Amino acid sequence: MAFKSFFSDYQRLLLGMVSVIGVVLLWELVFTYVIPLNPFFFTKPSLIAAAFKEQLVSGTLWKDVAISSKAFLLGFSLAVIVGIPIGVFMGWRRRAEYTLDPFFTALYASPLVALAPLLIIIFGVGLTGKVALIFLLAVFPFIFNVFAGVKCTDRLLVNVVRSFGGREKDIYFKVILPSIMPYIVAGARIAIGRGIVGILVTEFYAASEGIGFAISRFGDTYRLPDMFAAIMVLMIMAVVLTEGLRKLETFLTPWKTGQEAR
Amino acid sequence: MVPCIEARSLNLTFTPKNRDPVTALQGFDLQVSKGEFLTLVGPSGCGKSTFLNGLLGLLKPDSGELSLNGKQINGPGQERAMVFQEFGLLPWRTVLANVELGLELKGVAPLIRHERARELIQLVGLESFQNHYPHELSGGMKQRVGLARALATEPEVLLMDEPFAALDAQTRDLMQTELLQIWERTKKTVLFVTHSIEEAAYLSDRVVIMTARPGRTKNVFKIDLPRPRDYEMRLTPEFNDIKATIWSSLKDELGTKAAGNGI
Repeated sequence: MAFKSFFSDYQRLLLGMVSVIGVVLLWELVFTYVIPLNPFFFTKPSLIAAAFKEQLVSGTLWKDVAISSKAFLLGFSLAVIVGIPIGVFMGWRRRAEYTLDPFFTALYASPLVALAPLLIIIFGVGLTGKVALIFLLAVFPFIFNVFAGVKCTDRLLVNVVRSFGGREKDIYFKVILPSIMPYIVAGARIAIGRGIVGILVTEFYAASEGIGFAISRFGDTYRLPDMFAAIMVLMIMAVVLTEGLRKLETFLTPWKTGQEAR
Repeated sequence: MVPCIEARSLNLTFTPKNRDPVTALQGFDLQVSKGEFLTLVGPSGCGKSTFLNGLLGLLKPDSGELSLNGKQINGPGQERAMVFQEFGLLPWRTVLANVELGLELKGVAPLIRHERARELIQLVGLESFQNHYPHELSGGMKQRVGLARALATEPEVLLMDEPFAALDAQTRDLMQTELLQIWERTKKTVLFVTHSIEEAAYLSDRVVIMTARPGRTKNVFKIDLPRPRDYEMRLTPEFNDIKATIWSSLKDELGTKAAGNGI
């Protein structure tokens, strides 16, 4: 009985762990006993783990992670700072919407990674070029999500604040900003994915350091276990960011908890 | 004596989103004395809510006069507060923070406004819910918060736009009686809008019947029931007579409206 209730309490965690461990184990076993492994074309978990450990010890991994994270955080923060006000402005002022919308829609729909060569010509292969591309990729989800959020702002609440003598500033800070918070979080989720693509593209294309550069260099030299270790690190970074965002969401929008099934 | 609220040959148009402007009130006259409980009843779309929005200062009259204590109404002000049909609570604020909203916008210091808000939360009986969010409350509780919020700024005039229309019948009866108790204690001037003849007759000193759009005053009925009133009063023959009188005045307007819409 006790076991049963333990299982039902933790079944999400348990089943998740079983599935991950199972897949890794299967991968390892298949390439150990069934298909002979050709190390030029593929690799297996035990080799990746060894490569990962070596990179950790030698410190090259940390350096790459730090370099890429810095570019990501700068570009992403810039996207937040620029994207949210533009989205609010477009959503609240109809003329701003009509003026800016065609331009931004075209940019959001286009594969902006096509601009990577241009950005590198302008800003060089260093930090600035990376930040510029990450910013360009991450800013549009913020603009359009915030824009949609402002459009969905409850007019009644705006009238309530007005009726109690609220000014334009109060409407922005007491109604619009809190009501777009869930939209900002949803935008951030998309922006994280796009921002990571931005890191990879710039570092694949022209860089001498960073996690994207590590992946492409290991690939070029057929060091597959090392390459997979670097990819794994990138995955961990993405998961940490997304999970962090989820925590941030419950902190930023406490009134939402319990309102929807999770 | 200057009436508390006065509307004289008032014309008010409003423009619904993406539609043509609608003349809601035409040549509308109304006088409300200080401390009076007055209810507007009329067919849907006759301009009752538009009038309240005009009084609140959110809509500007096209012509005519609309004044409070002899002064022309020019935008929102502290002497007036509205209780909204759909509550209009800010979902990201707790009960306490919602009740404080008006005081906060007035620039009242945090400690003073907490205290004032707590008093009002107590008045509407929500002491144990002051840290709850609106989505955790029932409809009746939400409207209590709406009432407390409106009373918090100590307005002279309380505007109530079908405040109990979204509530179930029993909660509604309960809220009406509580509103009367609070009104008797605070002696505010109340301008109430409803579709319910029963509600109008039970609560009001006077009931104003409005014509179909564009709205004008059709009849004014003085309700001569003693106060304080209680629920049993609604079961008496006198109360039924009052309802019948109001209904006979209102029903022609409902007919006109239906005919006008081709229903």
